[in-house]
Amino acid sequence: MGYYEPLQELDEAYLVAPGSTLAEVTEDIASVTENAAPRGWWIVFMGALSLLALFGGTVGYLFYRGVGVWGNSSPTYWAWDITNFVWWVGIGHAGTLISAVLFLFRQKWRTGINRFAEAMTIFAVMCALIFPGIHVGRPWVLQWMFPLPNQMSLWPNFKSPLLWDLFAVGTYFTVSAMFWFVGLIPDLATLRDRSINKWRQRIYGFLALGWRGSNRHWQNYERTYMILAALSTPLVLSVHSVVSFDFATSVIPGWHTTIFPPYFVAGAVFSGFAMVMTLLLVSRTVFKLHRVVLMRHLELMNKIMLLTGMLVGYAYAMEFFVAWYSGNEYERYVFVNRAFGPYAWAYWTMISCNVLSPQVFWFKKLRRNIPVMFVVSIVINIGMWFERFVIIVTSLHRDFLPSAWGMFSPTVIDLTTYLGTMGVFFTLFMLFLRWLPAVAISEVKGTMPQADPHHHDLVPEGAE
Amino acid sequence: MSKRQPYVFLEPSAEAPKYWRTLEERAELSTFATPDLAAKRAAEFPDGHFTTPPSDEAIALGRRGFLGVAGASLALAGTAGCRRPEEKIVPYGKMPEQIVPGVASFYATAIASRGEALGLLVESHEGRPTKVEGNPDHPASLGATDIAGQASILELYDIDRSQAPSKGGKRESFEPFESALKSKLVAADANKGAKLRFLAHPTTSPTELRLRAEMQKRYPSAKLTVFAPLSDGNVLLGTKLAFGKALRPLVDYSRTKIIVSLDADFLQVETGAVRATKQFAASRRLVTATDTMSRLYVAEAHFSTTGANADHRVRVPRSQIAKVASAIAARLGTKHGVALGEVAQVTQGPAKVDGVADAWLDAVAKDLADNRGASAVVVGASQPPAVHAAAAAINAALGNVARTVAYFEPVDAAEGDALADLKALVAEMAAGQVDTLIVLGGNPVYDAPADLKFGDALAKVAFSVHLSSHLDETGSRTTWHLPRAHAFEAWGDHRGVDGTVALQQPLIQPLYQAWSDIEVLSRFTSLTERKGYDLARLTARDHFLGMRGYTLCGSDGVNIQCRDAAGATTVLTTAALEREWKKALYDGRIGATRGGVSDLAVTAATVAQALAKVQAPAPSKGSLEALFIPCAKMLDGRFANNPWLLEMPDPNTHVVWDNPALLAPATALELGIENGDMLDVTAGGQTVKVVAYVHPGTAANVVVLSSGWGRTRAGRLGNGKGFDIGPLRTSAGYHFASAAKVTKSGTTYQVAQTQSHHSAEGRPIAREATLSEFQANPNFAQLQSPTPKLLPLWQPQDYSQGYQWGMVVDLNSCTGCGSCVVACQAENNVPVVGKVEVARGREMHWMRIDRYFVEDPKQGATADDPLVVAQPLMCVHCETAPCENVCPVNATVHSAEGLNEIAYNRCIGTRYCANNCPYKVRRFNYLNWHNDSVWAKEKDYPETYQMQHNPNVTVRFRGVIEKCSYCVQRIQAAKIKAKRENRTIVDGEVRSACQQVCPADAIEFGNLNDPTSRVAKAARNHRNYALLGEIGTKPRTTYLGKVRNPNPDLQKALAASVPSDASAKGHH
Repeated sequence: MGYYEPLQELDEAYLVAPGSTLAEVTEDIASVTENAAPRGWWIVFMGALSLLALFGGTVGYLFYRGVGVWGNSSPTYWAWDITNFVWWVGIGHAGTLISAVLFLFRQKWRTGINRFAEAMTIFAVMCALIFPGIHVGRPWVLQWMFPLPNQMSLWPNFKSPLLWDLFAVGTYFTVSAMFWFVGLIPDLATLRDRSINKWRQRIYGFLALGWRGSNRHWQNYERTYMILAALSTPLVLSVHSVVSFDFATSVIPGWHTTIFPPYFVAGAVFSGFAMVMTLLLVSRTVFKLHRVVLMRHLELMNKIMLLTGMLVGYAYAMEFFVAWYSGNEYERYVFVNRAFGPYAWAYWTMISCNVLSPQVFWFKKLRRNIPVMFVVSIVINIGMWFERFVIIVTSLHRDFLPSAWGMFSPTVIDLTTYLGTMGVFFTLFMLFLRWLPAVAISEVKGTMPQADPHHHDLVPEGAE
Repeated sequence: MSKRQPYVFLEPSAEAPKYWRTLEERAELSTFATPDLAAKRAAEFPDGHFTTPPSDEAIALGRRGFLGVAGASLALAGTAGCRRPEEKIVPYGKMPEQIVPGVASFYATAIASRGEALGLLVESHEGRPTKVEGNPDHPASLGATDIAGQASILELYDIDRSQAPSKGGKRESFEPFESALKSKLVAADANKGAKLRFLAHPTTSPTELRLRAEMQKRYPSAKLTVFAPLSDGNVLLGTKLAFGKALRPLVDYSRTKIIVSLDADFLQVETGAVRATKQFAASRRLVTATDTMSRLYVAEAHFSTTGANADHRVRVPRSQIAKVASAIAARLGTKHGVALGEVAQVTQGPAKVDGVADAWLDAVAKDLADNRGASAVVVGASQPPAVHAAAAAINAALGNVARTVAYFEPVDAAEGDALADLKALVAEMAAGQVDTLIVLGGNPVYDAPADLKFGDALAKVAFSVHLSSHLDETGSRTTWHLPRAHAFEAWGDHRGVDGTVALQQPLIQPLYQAWSDIEVLSRFTSLTERKGYDLARLTARDHFLGMRGYTLCGSDGVNIQCRDAAGATTVLTTAALEREWKKALYDGRIGATRGGVSDLAVTAATVAQALAKVQAPAPSKGSLEALFIPCAKMLDGRFANNPWLLEMPDPNTHVVWDNPALLAPATALELGIENGDMLDVTAGGQTVKVVAYVHPGTAANVVVLSSGWGRTRAGRLGNGKGFDIGPLRTSAGYHFASAAKVTKSGTTYQVAQTQSHHSAEGRPIAREATLSEFQANPNFAQLQSPTPKLLPLWQPQDYSQGYQWGMVVDLNSCTGCGSCVVACQAENNVPVVGKVEVARGREMHWMRIDRYFVEDPKQGATADDPLVVAQPLMCVHCETAPCENVCPVNATVHSAEGLNEIAYNRCIGTRYCANNCPYKVRRFNYLNWHNDSVWAKEKDYPETYQMQHNPNVTVRFRGVIEKCSYCVQRIQAAKIKAKRENRTIVDGEVRSACQQVCPADAIEFGNLNDPTSRVAKAARNHRNYALLGEIGTKPRTTYLGKVRNPNPDLQKALAASVPSDASAKGHH
């Protein structure tokens, strides 16, 4: 077998390792679900399962005694619960952005990471949705949040941003899940076709919805995918904008600001990309996906993180400017208190993690350095958690009347709840890695030289 | 636990159907009286609840008896009920006439409240007292109550109340006690009671006084000692010095223009604080821009409620108050020509007091001299008699007597030099000269001076008896402990300082076996009556006769023969007296108030001599003064097991569940002490451990210790709460100890507070002005932060029709005493959460009293010695409520009458509303507080406490939000009544619990749509402003700005004395 340079357009870099064949790509990805799981998978999966058990115990205890087992108090009626909620929703942002927006903009490099990102989105949104469910005082009547017809004609309050929030996140979850599943269909069929086991054949066969790869199938599939991408795109902007309304429409200084929707969206993309990066780097190593996840992918993601990191930095600065410019003494106090009050450590943690740490990506060397980007991606996720903590807790703990001011201190249960949702997330994610194609096989193939209609004109017969 | 009433076991007859619970019991049914089973059953229904099975006859009489006691409510409703002298109250099986389930009845009664009687109306639901209100017809209450009055209802239901007599810790009943007593009385009869001693608190009860005299008749050699840690003995000794006879002053603050308080917290812990607060607030009420107000000068060591309301306050250690008194007297005598004689010459020369500006003393003297006959000097009960004598001399010389200060004969003449009397008693006990000691109430083992070692002396008494509500520190060391009936369970009577007699009418059959003081005392007399009812009734008969000027000659049951002053004999029918008795029960008092003693002459030389003796050196850095103050909540420790009071924020420090030692910031800095440091406080060779709390306004070099805490046998909640400072209190230094040392012990301790931030950060929250600023600009409050016109987001609701409820709180009247906080808790079934949860900020009080320190260089107020403003805050019922539109399930909505309502059943507990409340008045049930907080160790929330619950208010489960409802249950009750009578609610008919209890009348509540209502008038007052109105909430509760009345000359002098660097911030 000879080696030929694939055809390239000007400035176009490889999206799959040069020289890879279609069969190799299929083999690389599909074999992950067919071979015995590597030791690394088992270690992570067992860790995740332990956290899941912790989550079960925590939620049981929480339901048994009440929300008071957390550290929430008056005036910080919301604390880690909503911090975690917003954090998880934010993480769930990158998936749709990568799948839908980049798809519409024909960013082909997305194919190496979009499946990951979508799965992560769905699992992160599931984790996020846990919090509105368990943080309420009486979870056994949670259904009153939904507009269910009832004999008393009692409806939810459509003026409440919390209700908008429920709809926005719910819609986002539904569309993301559909988008993900539709994208999976051709790959599920590939797995089905490779099956040598009856059960695998049946299950993947059922999930593949009778996919035969016919021209008409592909035509329908591409259209559906395009429509769903178009549907999802506004959701990328709407979901976190609506989450930000929970705060922006309130009267609390530090919450009541118009900058919140774009600021939240930028922050969400920022944290979502950071989370994708963390997971991608680990999976790439564990499952040896170097052929389809290239340094080029990682570098592009780092650039996006640099951009969104500066966007949130701008928002932080703008909040301070507006607080000063408004002349509102309550507003001013909240921001001075953020930076120099009792929670200043949280504020400066946020600034260091979110604004300062991505600055390393200005340097190509660091941008392409895997340990650096791994550390930075984790630091960003810590920083984004603190951003939500700062917004929620420091605004609430000192609002209008100083007599009502107080401090928040978390309990062990706060911590186990948070770690527990990590368990939920990683358990689901590990199962996904093990049983579903972690990279979109068909889409990756579409970016390979072999997919070029003129490929065979350039490559001599039999050379491959 | 079952909620049903326990069965009453009667002898089973052969025909009766058999009921059994287990097969074992079935097998034993034939031998029903097997001792084994009977014992088991007895264990299930322990002695105390239902000791003896009531006979059929008793049950039959009981129903009517219930009607009897219910009669007072009928009387209140304007119908003369048929009263029977029966004492049984039982639940009714058949519907009694004129009792409507769900409609509360009110009974007039009275309780003793620190040397004064407080007339009450107690709300009762189907025979179950639930809430205490003041009796508007009683002169000491005037319709309001204090903290103790509100909390007294929970004392009745205290689960740790003793339920049966006990001997040596073993549960007993009254029968063995009576037989033991009988043998002792035989011996006492033989020696005329030579070895019989009594120890009692000063009493307000004419019956008790009568019985004491009867006891002395039977046992001439017996002695009764009166001792209480909270006593006005020094007042009596002081007036005795001044006037030659013991008298009690009663100040009419409403007629006073200048009030000088020397260490007297007359608005909180001194005798008669309710009446004083009413009158004080009246003297400062500003309706129009031209009104004037009284001026209050206070000299005290710790920031008391009175000090917080002062226009000019100086910090003076307790030992130095005598110097202040002499310095004022000297100025009055020399500069202003007030005829004080030798009293003006106690201090020679310029009459200076360390730490007190000369300008202050000059201003006080000038104001007093300029307001002769309209001023008053009041002195705290902890001050030595000489200072009281000096005040009496000053008041007399200024012509205040009979104008602003009246003097009355003391109710309990035995109250006097209590410490000396107690010392003598203990000496007798230690010498073995006391064979029988009866302790009526009180807790001397806990609160007697430590050097007397009362507990050790008690061990030498052969037969000691302690009558007390709890088996406490004293009761556990006496031979016998007897349970004492609560005031709502026993008949009695009280005479107030001004002589008004009030009847104490029981509301309920004793929950457990219990005797009242008079029932115990009656056993030591030759009288045949033993029941409280008979005893009180006979005293009342004497009153009725006395009011006519008659004395009793004889009675045959139908007619009573009496003799008048001239010696003529008259016959009265018992029926006539019966009518008066009923009227007295209805009114809650007998007859009218008498006047004070006139013709008082001061012996100035004696006063001067005594005053010269109490001049002491001032405390210094190395030799502090330890000050012992009664806790505003616990008093002498009697309320130590009361969950409401344990959790009520201290009116001055806002600390809950503890009694930290207070230190001035400067003193703490010198000693290197910070909040939460554990301290060793040493005085007189004794050391106590107590946590430190740095409190501005405390005098330098003084450590303030409050009593009533650190109890070891108070009950489940009170045990070990706070710190016992008793070991430091000796008979020589019972109110303060000199040469005290404070050292850090190295450990720290968490102090829980409901308000931890005490600066208003310069925000226009509690708005205030001085009187001259107010007169120049009556709208000052509104102008400090005007409410802007804002466009509504939604279609505005039309509130022009029907009732529109609103409230106005006058910051100028509010003293910050905290009664409203407890009243609200009692009315609205507000749970107690415990210290740990309060420290997390999860207290559930629907209303709080915000307290801000004010640093104002213009008035000489600094960070170390600030002014204080108190601001009651509860849900303000915004017309555009931020909480309402964020609730996802519509659980909190607005009513057509302007109430912000919560449907607890609809609330799912997102807490979004609480976040969005700018006032932070919404409370969340993080846990099931009633049984998952302080009661977590119990199986359930104790049933007796459940009996206190207001049946018209939902008890909230965990996971829902709650907050002030404007007492919507009271609004509804009034609306139902008005509708039945086909009329509208009249102004004053609906009163919120906080409004009703407020001794300062600081709260107005009513219909804003009625322009003639008091609340609408208050809302039109110049000083009216909406708190946080600038954010567009349109609150229904608004405030009237506070006005201080500083002396303009003194203000100038003080402003000049404040260093310029302190003038940076206005409203701190």
